[in-house]
Amino acid sequence: MTATAMDELELDIRGQVCPSTLLTTLKEVNGNFERLKAGTLRLVVKTDARDATGTIPPMVKSMGFAVSVLKEQGYYMIVIGKEQQA
Amino acid sequence: MIWFIAFALFAIGGAAGFVMHRSDFCLAGAFRDLFLFRQGRMLRVLLLLAVVAMPLYEAGRLLGILAVPFPLFGPPSLVNPLGGLFFGIGMVLAGGCVVGTLYKMAAGRLTSLVAFAGLLAGSALYAEIHPWWAQLARRGILASSVTLPRMLDLPPLLLLAPLAAVAGFWLRRWGRQGLLSQESYAEGHLQPWKAALWLAVLSLASALVSGMPMGITTAYAKLAGMLEALFVPGHVASLAFFATEPLSFTHPLWGVTLHGGPGPRLDGIALAQFPLIAGILCGSACSALRLGEWRFYTRVPIKQCLWAFVGGTLMGLSARMAPACNIWHLMGGLPILAGQSLLFVAGLFPGAWLGSRLLRKYVI
Repeated sequence: MTATAMDELELDIRGQVCPSTLLTTLKEVNGNFERLKAGTLRLVVKTDARDATGTIPPMVKSMGFAVSVLKEQGYYMIVIGKEQQA
Repeated sequence: MIWFIAFALFAIGGAAGFVMHRSDFCLAGAFRDLFLFRQGRMLRVLLLLAVVAMPLYEAGRLLGILAVPFPLFGPPSLVNPLGGLFFGIGMVLAGGCVVGTLYKMAAGRLTSLVAFAGLLAGSALYAEIHPWWAQLARRGILASSVTLPRMLDLPPLLLLAPLAAVAGFWLRRWGRQGLLSQESYAEGHLQPWKAALWLAVLSLASALVSGMPMGITTAYAKLAGMLEALFVPGHVASLAFFATEPLSFTHPLWGVTLHGGPGPRLDGIALAQFPLIAGILCGSACSALRLGEWRFYTRVPIKQCLWAFVGGTLMGLSARMAPACNIWHLMGGLPILAGQSLLFVAGLFPGAWLGSRLLRKYVI
């Protein structure tokens, strides 16, 4: 079993105008597509836009990535990374 | 009776603000997302709202407890789609319409607060061009009647029933296909289709209490006039716009006569719209606080704030040019097939398209 170094790219979009969260996330996913697919990068999006928790997951899932949404202190954290193989 | 109307409208606004925050019922997003992400879910939800409101208003009219067409609606004019066009651009740049700006601002969003300042500035700006624009609006009048059924000289039910039946068929189909719902991970999330049902009922409640569906932008103009009068009272007094009194009607249910206009005074407009605004602010803030999501983030790119102000100003200006805002037309005018509202909505689509292009190029 080999350990893989995983980088983390954090996007803090809290307070920004709608639909900043979705547009910025899609731009970063497309810009880092290969690294995200290879599992060497994980994208962490911090947002206070409630609708982004409904719009980002299905879009990113349809691109073949794994997504999780966590509620933190007053905001949401959306984590995007490589889909785990069963 | 005045206090009953004010408290009831505050409660209606409070419920609307709560529902809008929980469902993130963004009317600007409904039009914008069609062009930005090719998503029509919220437009379908808006159609649901209008279709549910249709029989509610019509029943009120047939029972004699609602005056349809509602007060403040005028005959359609060529300026209505132009107002819709500018409004569409403005709401996309501001990140929310006149109501979206309110509920997002109450939940702590800085760009919405800036857009709100723009809304007041735009309303004040309109007062300067009102005589010229009002003349243009009069010249562009397309019919003498207010609603489509009256233009066609048909009983409203004859048009509304088949329209509602066709739309109902499609909505049922979309509902079964899951095209009206959205999975969300937000705490306390309310499905937008459920919010649409609530808002249709709340709009009916507003119409029963004040005689008018939900509308708030004349109060924005009033607020702008009040603030401007603090600095240049002579100038405000000299503007013809602030002297107009378009509202003059007797409520069929209460027998109360309301007069009012955009001028900086407490009148029928202040009674009908200020409590709604206060209610929406309180309802949304209450929802955000209960979820522990009320935060005021100040680290926002300055260009987003500047464009939010531009968008707010465009909305404030065009809401008076149209005349009236999107919730007035979408939740009040569309269900009664008001000519003004049909033309305004037709203008919203190209406006939202233009706004979306500007948003991608300059704002985000």
